[in-house]
Amino acid sequence: MAHLRESSDKALKLLRTLPRVQIGNLRPNPNSKQNDKRGRAQHGGDKHGAGNKGSGQRQNFMRLGYETGNQAFYMRFPYEPYYKGHHMKREYPPISLLQLQVLVDTNRIDVSQPVDIATLCNSGLLSLKPAELQYGFQLTDEGLDNFKAKINIEVQHASEAVIAAVERNGGVIRTAYYDPRSLQILANPKKWFEKGVPIPQRMLPPQDAVEYYTDAKNRGYLANPEEISKERLVLAQKYGYELPRIEDDADYEMLTAAKDARQLFLGLEPGWLVNLVDKTIVKLKKT
Amino acid sequence: MNKITRAFISVLRQNNSGYSSATLLGRQLSYQSDLSLDKIYPNARLQLYTPPPPPGSGDKFNGYIPMDKLEISYSRSSGPGGQHVNTVNTKVDIRFKLAEAEWIPTKTREKLLQVLANKLNKEGYYFIKSDLTRSQQMNLADALEKLRTVIRAQEVEPVAPSEETLEKLRRRQEKAARQRLQLKRDRSKVKADRRAPSGVDF
Repeated sequence: MAHLRESSDKALKLLRTLPRVQIGNLRPNPNSKQNDKRGRAQHGGDKHGAGNKGSGQRQNFMRLGYETGNQAFYMRFPYEPYYKGHHMKREYPPISLLQLQVLVDTNRIDVSQPVDIATLCNSGLLSLKPAELQYGFQLTDEGLDNFKAKINIEVQHASEAVIAAVERNGGVIRTAYYDPRSLQILANPKKWFEKGVPIPQRMLPPQDAVEYYTDAKNRGYLANPEEISKERLVLAQKYGYELPRIEDDADYEMLTAAKDARQLFLGLEPGWLVNLVDKTIVKLKKT
Repeated sequence: MNKITRAFISVLRQNNSGYSSATLLGRQLSYQSDLSLDKIYPNARLQLYTPPPPPGSGDKFNGYIPMDKLEISYSRSSGPGGQHVNTVNTKVDIRFKLAEAEWIPTKTREKLLQVLANKLNKEGYYFIKSDLTRSQQMNLADALEKLRTVIRAQEVEPVAPSEETLEKLRRRQEKAARQRLQLKRDRSKVKADRRAPSGVDF
């Protein structure tokens, strides 16, 4: 209503300064009047604007872009977008729950510590190639029914059924994003630490991934932890299991250990320099 | 005593079982960057906890089903599928005594007892089976979904037709009656015209 008052005030202001409204000052609204001039006599008559012969005069018009048979401009250049955007498409190599269970059972992974990309790559059985646009691992639902391990795992993508399978056994699953530089570091941490470069900080996900990682349903690392707790109950009700009381678990500290959004390694801060030779850590001076 | 020493002592006092004290200490003095969760969600409860089941709000079923009140059994599914379907228990059977299901609101429970009277077995158990997918867990989810649908269907109140609809229907009925009577009158006139005139004709 205030908006209308302003425009009426503006109109009144204009009226005060403009000349008097006269017939000669007025003009009809656009498209309100049609031209009633009939095509007769010298200028409107004879061919009535249709030209000579051809499809135009015969009212059999050619379609827009038609060039009387020769390959039209809009038909000359083919569009075969086979690789369009391929350099932007992120890949997440799969790990099935079956594989994970086998790794746990054969002690290839230490389940008493949180599991992340570095743990999986260090087992020697899985590898990540960040240079080939692989942005981390996704957990697939093969072996869903027989998954029995209680783990704290961090992957880059997991479906709802997989999240339910992990939480059903009292574990914790989280989806986190790592930018390509961080992925290279995590894919082979030892090789990178030998370089003697300070640990960088992890970058935020790209725009199209932010929605995924801020959603509690996906257990995103940027999601509200309270929402995640609630979603755990929702999923337990959906998939029909009693949600194990994680607070009463002896491993509560380990299961809820999560990396900060800027952290690459749990326990190590960005900016620290790890010296493998002298077995020391050089930290930033606190100013 | 500075903060670090105090934290160190509190950590050493705690019972460090399994998880190494170094990492525990690291957690106590854990790294908080500009994107730490307490900065993004300042009022949220950051520690993972198990929320209590939602309280039943009297009349309406809130969707919560206590798992310990259901009897779940598994068996082999039917249909094609080779070795997998022959050997793996993917079919899910959920049973519970409908009359004693406290988690369904009383009103809805009574309605269900009426509607499902022919579906209960001799002991009064209502059961739902599912062998929709190849996975036991997904079938369990499907069975629970079916159960929730059945319960919620009883709570849906049919929408009463609006006054305009009722008015429309009444006018249609009246028009139909009018036309029927008009047709009768026309036929009657035709037949009368065929007969000899009765009585005194002016």
